Amino acid sequence: MPLTLPADRAPTEPILAARGITKRFPGVLALDHVDFEVQAGDVHAVLGQNGAGKTTLMNILFGLVQPDEGALYLRGQRVHFRSPHDAIAQGIGMVHQTRRLVAAHTVLENIVLGHPRVRGFLNLRGARREVEALCNRYGFTVDLGARVWQLSEGERQWVEILKALYGGAKILILDEPTSVLTPPEVKTLLAGLQALVRDRGVTVLLVTHKLPVVMAASHRVTVFRSGSVVARLRTGEATEEILVQHMIGREVAFRTADRSAEAGRPLLHVEQVSAFNDRGLLALRDLSFSLRAGEVLGVAGVTGNGQEELAQVLAGLRPVTSGKVRFADRDVTHLSPLERWRMGVGYIPAERIEVASIAAFSLVENTALNYHFDPAFTPRGLLDDAGLDQLTRRILSAYNVKAPHQYARARHLSGGNLQRLILGRVLSRRPRLLIAHLPTQGLDVEATAFVRAKLLDARAEGAAVLLISEDLDEILSLSDWVAPIYEGRFVAVLLREQADSETVGAMMAGLQKEAGAR
Amino acid sequence: MRLGRYELTLEPRPAVSAVYTVLTAVVAILLALALSSFLFLSADASLLGAYRAVFSYAFFNPRGILATVQRAIYLLFCTYAFLVPLRAGLWNIGLPGQVFAGALAAFAVPFVLRAQEAQTLALAPGLLILLMVAAAAAAGAMLGGFAGLLRARLQVNEILVTMMLNSILFWLVAYMIKEGGPFMGATAEGEGFTLPAPLTAPLLRGVPFTAALALGAAVLLDLLFAKTALGYRIRAFGENPAAARYGGISPVALSLLVFLLGGAFAGLAGYHAFTAVPGVYKIPGNYGFYGDLAFYGIISALIARGSAVGAVPIAVLFAGLSLGARFAQGALHLPFGVDYALLGLLMMTFIASHALYQFRLAWRRVPSEVLQPAPTELPEG
Ligand SMILES: Nc1ncnc2c1ncn2[C@@H]1O[C@H](COP(=O)(O)OP(=O)(O)O)[C@@H](O)[C@H]1O
Ligand SMILES: [Mg+2]
Repeated sequence: MPLTLPADRAPTEPILAARGITKRFPGVLALDHVDFEVQAGDVHAVLGQNGAGKTTLMNILFGLVQPDEGALYLRGQRVHFRSPHDAIAQGIGMVHQTRRLVAAHTVLENIVLGHPRVRGFLNLRGARREVEALCNRYGFTVDLGARVWQLSEGERQWVEILKALYGGAKILILDEPTSVLTPPEVKTLLAGLQALVRDRGVTVLLVTHKLPVVMAASHRVTVFRSGSVVARLRTGEATEEILVQHMIGREVAFRTADRSAEAGRPLLHVEQVSAFNDRGLLALRDLSFSLRAGEVLGVAGVTGNGQEELAQVLAGLRPVTSGKVRFADRDVTHLSPLERWRMGVGYIPAERIEVASIAAFSLVENTALNYHFDPAFTPRGLLDDAGLDQLTRRILSAYNVKAPHQYARARHLSGGNLQRLILGRVLSRRPRLLIAHLPTQGLDVEATAFVRAKLLDARAEGAAVLLISEDLDEILSLSDWVAPIYEGRFVAVLLREQADSETVGAMMAGLQKEAGAR
Repeated sequence: MRLGRYELTLEPRPAVSAVYTVLTAVVAILLALALSSFLFLSADASLLGAYRAVFSYAFFNPRGILATVQRAIYLLFCTYAFLVPLRAGLWNIGLPGQVFAGALAAFAVPFVLRAQEAQTLALAPGLLILLMVAAAAAAGAMLGGFAGLLRARLQVNEILVTMMLNSILFWLVAYMIKEGGPFMGATAEGEGFTLPAPLTAPLLRGVPFTAALALGAAVLLDLLFAKTALGYRIRAFGENPAAARYGGISPVALSLLVFLLGGAFAGLAGYHAFTAVPGVYKIPGNYGFYGDLAFYGIISALIARGSAVGAVPIAVLFAGLSLGARFAQGALHLPFGVDYALLGLLMMTFIASHALYQFRLAWRRVPSEVLQPAPTELPEG
């Protein structure tokens, strides 16, 4: 439910404002002359896709990052935060995207330590009383003596909020607070924030890329796109559709896949698959789809909605809690990664350095990562060094990998070259199912075009391709089917023709909509 | 460390040549010897005389050489026991327990087959010896495999468990050989029974056949890692477990395998120490000493940087210097524990050189934008 602003409150001077803020990082214009205002007593949502500049602006408001241009105003007064200490002293608190608690310390110690009021002598007993009072006021029960590592993610977040409040924060910045929480935890958090605003007059800045959170918990919303503010709205006057249009913009896809290839018979069936993520939360929820040979299914979504888990489930690296995966007329749900490689599953993980390659190994040895089980390359249990050497040289030249020679260490390759090597290595197995997770992330334009072309080649040769990407243009230009993923489910599986960037963008942001599901 | 606009950092060295590797080892040895001179200050002889005593006993005296070889074989098996899991990135600290398990299993063969006396041998001695070797390796492997399973399957703290196993095995040996224990010796108290002569490991010029096993294993192990698919999997897992898993290598199977193999080598070490060294041929009362010595296998595996063949000279050096120092201790009235002190010094200089081998100190000018107090992301707390 959209909250309404109290009617009797006259439009006041903003409690916090940023004017003309510009921030450049090497090669990126993170913020471009941004004007931003927050009214006292609001929950103010800051909405935008990944990379829109939200975190950068929040870091500037908290004194963690210095703007290249522009100024900050607190209650109409120009302020200059040289560091977070200055911001904290002025009553601003921030809960970062990643938790920053000391896991081995108790809750109380975490709240009290590092606080400007605690200099030298530490009066833990007095502090405990104060913190307990805070907890009681917000109905938050946590054992102050518990060690932080024993807490759930939601509880840790509360500890950070308490820490900020204990530090005297009247303006509380929360950067993506819901991304790591379970749905009940989200509910508790939003209710708690509302209590904070209502009872204590705290002003909350809520950074998110989730529409339902904005709609449910905010009074106003500022939408960011590519470093600029594109809209300032009262939540009550906004709809999810309007917000999505602002968030995504109206960009048209510039290249489409060649439709001529005949789609083959169904190769992969995923039936009602659920799986946990590493933190034991349900990351895939009854997800179903099927994929034919010679087709590309593009999974579009904001990172953290189950994409990684989906790729791992298909590669055999993550167990399912329920559901079934059938591949090439065989139930492969419980097959090991090795058996799947042998059956023709090829996987290009998002983590090139951490997962897809071995930095200390030579390029030849890295090639062996997908061949050490192949009888053709391991006669009598010995590695066929000559064969691998030859294969690697073929990959290096066919995929334009710039490397001094095939015995160079993988760690010396640049990101783009490493990705070409991985792509070449996996494709050289001629997989029947190719799972490509963020295959062009961080690559330059040329490498990106190359990788995309190779994915289309694989499709043309009859591979079924599951392309997981955050780049909507990439999805729209390569896919035959587009599946926006949100919180562990495909919102829909759309024919490419039905999938325009607004519809898909809206679905990625959690807008549920009936469309040509399959 | 930052000083003004400059920063002193330890950074990884790029690839290093083999010559450099050997050179650092030699420097480390010389440094350890130089540092050890204070140990010899109270000697009845000159400093030079003390060194001469150590070396001449260890490497030139006929009795000393044999003792050096015997101990080197023991250390080598211990080295392999640690080295194989190490290549997979896993630490076999259950080494002493596995050595004891191997020793017990070796002696269990004649015990079970009632072959404690030369007259009552049930089978051909050659066959019995073979059985003893196999039993020792199998027992070590089982204990090692247990640790490997713990490590791979259950998320229990395998370090704690293996440490406990080490002491359980230690006390088990004590129970077996004590007066009234099943393996009790006929004469002495607190010792195991003595093997009948036909069951002792055959010698060739005073050197037991286990020497051939140890040297052969060195070559085979290095070939395993360099040439085979299995060795590749072990190395890949050791370098990057996540990548190995991605590539279809099963962490559970691999962990189990390397610990089985490592444990088998530790079992062989147990076999060698108590059935192949002339003058021992039984589990002696001071068997605990071998458990401590086993840890030098860890050091030599680390120094050899995972190469089994490379570990051979290191094991010989460790064996020779510890024996030579012990000899010099008696002959020149040096302080008690000189042998351990010398090994300890060697260990420290090797480890120091290891750090220098992998890292180098570098001065860097700090780029000016870094000097502004604007960290964009604090490290995670
Ligand atoms: N410390 C940094 N160094 C370089 N680039 C950065 C840094 N922080 C953010 N960026 C870049 O600035 C842009 C905005 O990032 P960010 O503010 O984190 O976006 P959001 O929080 O909206 O997802 C991105 O393109 C990001 O890559
Ligand atoms: Mg962010």
